[in-house]
Amino acid sequence: MDRMKILLVDDEQEFVTTLAERLELRNMNVSIAMDGEAALGIVENDPPQIVVLDVMMPGLSGLEVLEKIKAMDSKIQVILLTGHGATKDGIRGMQLGAFDYLIKPIDIDELIEKLNEAMKSMA
Amino acid sequence: MNHLKRKEVAFFGKITAGITHEIKNVLAIIQESSGLMEDILDITENGTFPHKDKFIKSLNRIHGQIQRGIDVTSRLNRFAHSPDHSPASLDLNEITEQMVLLASRFARLKNVVLESSPSDPPLIIKSDPVSLEMALFESIEILLNVIGSGGKITLSPRKIQNKCVLGVGYENTILPEEDFMAKISSTERWASLQEAMAYLGGSAKVFGLAPEILLYLPESIDD
Repeated sequence: MDRMKILLVDDEQEFVTTLAERLELRNMNVSIAMDGEAALGIVENDPPQIVVLDVMMPGLSGLEVLEKIKAMDSKIQVILLTGHGATKDGIRGMQLGAFDYLIKPIDIDELIEKLNEAMKSMA
Repeated sequence: MNHLKRKEVAFFGKITAGITHEIKNVLAIIQESSGLMEDILDITENGTFPHKDKFIKSLNRIHGQIQRGIDVTSRLNRFAHSPDHSPASLDLNEITEQMVLLASRFARLKNVVLESSPSDPPLIIKSDPVSLEMALFESIEILLNVIGSGGKITLSPRKIQNKCVLGVGYENTILPEEDFMAKISSTERWASLQEAMAYLGGSAKVFGLAPEILLYLPESIDD
């Protein structure tokens, strides 16, 4: 079975690199970006199957990046990461085409479950 | 609350909410780092990692404290967003549960346990969140100031004669009930509580001579 191809986008470098290592240990192919512009560059050149995207980032917001990803390739699934008290961003994101949203700090098992669900929805 | 005070409260709320996001980012990094250590331990062959059990025990303690940190910062974040909308639709069970977590430390300093007893079904009112939280906290502080050490304070939303009430009761047989009203009504905080309750369109009373403060609240602050 092919390895799941994931792009993690979050401006917290320590968070995103550690989470990437954990997903790689679970046999996933993970790339990372620390802002929206970098994420869009990866989506254009080496498109992932699923993007895990923080909503609150400097520069382009997560919701703006989501809209651009969906315009580039609507098949890419996006899972948003929101802060507590920002669930309205998650709901807005789902209206814009996000697969689902999770509240940070996330539980790794919950993230993997969502990634699997997102993969199944693409089949 | 006058316009300037409202702006001051909103300012404190905005800054606090921003800081809680920062704290959560720190917790998220600690969580993922300790999770990664756990992952590595899981794939390590048995017998190749000395003191593995002690290491796992320590990681579990870290996870427990991360969860505690997440709970506290989540409540603090919600509290910091209180000034965002007023009046707002408020679930009194949520308000009391939140206050238990935020005020527990003040109670613990007097060896008092703070807990909530939710109502079923939940009571929903339209009110000013900041003033209501302040009134609830004042009630807890009044009790903590007049009681001795130990015992339990229970926050219990309920209906009394068809009216929404937030009860703040103290359970300890050491306190002579007959002194309770006299002790409470002489405090400055009691006057301050009455003021907050008047703003909310309600009133604060002591239930008979029993050690419980009852906050009577209208179903809508506009009533």
